[in-house]
Amino acid sequence: MQLAANGPNLSNYDDHQERSRLAQRHADRWLIAGTIVMGTAVLGFIGFPLFIYGLVLLRRAQKSGLSVRPLICTLLGYLVIIDSALNSMGWAMDLMAHHTLMNRVITTAWGNLVDGGYFWHYNELWIGGTGAPGEKAWQIALIPIVFCMRLAAAIGFLQMKRWGQQWLVVTCWFGVIVWVGYNTNMTIFADIRYANTVFPVIGWWAYDIFYITPFLSIPYLHTVNREIFTD
Amino acid sequence: MSKSPTDLPLGTTAPYARLHKWLQRGLLVCLSALVIEGTFTVPFLLVWYGWPSLTIVEVCSELQKVRFSDDTRECIFPYPLFAPSEGAGQKMAQDVWGVQPTPKYKRIGFRDLVKIRDERRARQAAQKHPEGPLATANFTD
Repeated sequence: MQLAANGPNLSNYDDHQERSRLAQRHADRWLIAGTIVMGTAVLGFIGFPLFIYGLVLLRRAQKSGLSVRPLICTLLGYLVIIDSALNSMGWAMDLMAHHTLMNRVITTAWGNLVDGGYFWHYNELWIGGTGAPGEKAWQIALIPIVFCMRLAAAIGFLQMKRWGQQWLVVTCWFGVIVWVGYNTNMTIFADIRYANTVFPVIGWWAYDIFYITPFLSIPYLHTVNREIFTD
Repeated sequence: MSKSPTDLPLGTTAPYARLHKWLQRGLLVCLSALVIEGTFTVPFLLVWYGWPSLTIVEVCSELQKVRFSDDTRECIFPYPLFAPSEGAGQKMAQDVWGVQPTPKYKRIGFRDLVKIRDERRARQAAQKHPEGPLATANFTD
């Protein structure tokens, strides 16, 4: 109203923009730090409070009337990054560090717990790592292609770029393909994947269901007002 | 009472307000769950599979013995960089082979690897010293 009474006031507008940018940047520092630490998995409990503090800063800025990124976009973008980081770390270890002590203990123990594909004839193929049928092909397709693309898309999305939003749509649909293809593979070779594991089918689902990020992202990405993203 | 368009978050239009609210809740749940899982998976695995009664290398070796049904297997650490895969060419693993192979190894329960290691050691000790107290007890019975 004041703006209408006084007429366009560019210095007020610029000041608002600048304060919004600074507030967003300040919050993003905490959010990025939290996400990097949470992406390591083991140190997640340290990263979580940093991330939450970033969210609080963002909310405060929003309440004080600054133009910052909507909360749902922040959650979605960073969750995609964490999901990709966690997935890539486990699979990259299996693909490239399969004979390290850490991988041979953590991955095969996890495999024995919920997914026999990471225990059965482990480190027997010439390429090392999992011996489950089809699993290596998934790793090679997903780590350098899908997850890298999703990480890049999420960064563009968090910067509120239109290409980020569009590429997140594309790569989250990749995520649907991953879920369907991967689970079909596991179902077809269910004896290898679940026979004599500690917590078979239900255990796997209880552990992995929280990676359903694409299914939460797609409905938002298709219904958000795209005008909020810049060219 | 429905929110006016100005109360809605940027990018959310009235018809999708409820969808976006639930998606946001789902995102928060998934994020929190991934953090909790990420934090506790490794400690949980280590404790389940016998640490600290077993060293990390022993856990690795015991898992390998179960995997390949071969008590002679040991986890070589550090593993030579350009050596063939540790399991390449092994002949001991037990499976029902067919188009759907099924492993025959047994389920490893909570801290079973410690029990398996202790039983194996007791067996090996008995074989090395057949005249030991256990063997004597058997004869006197």
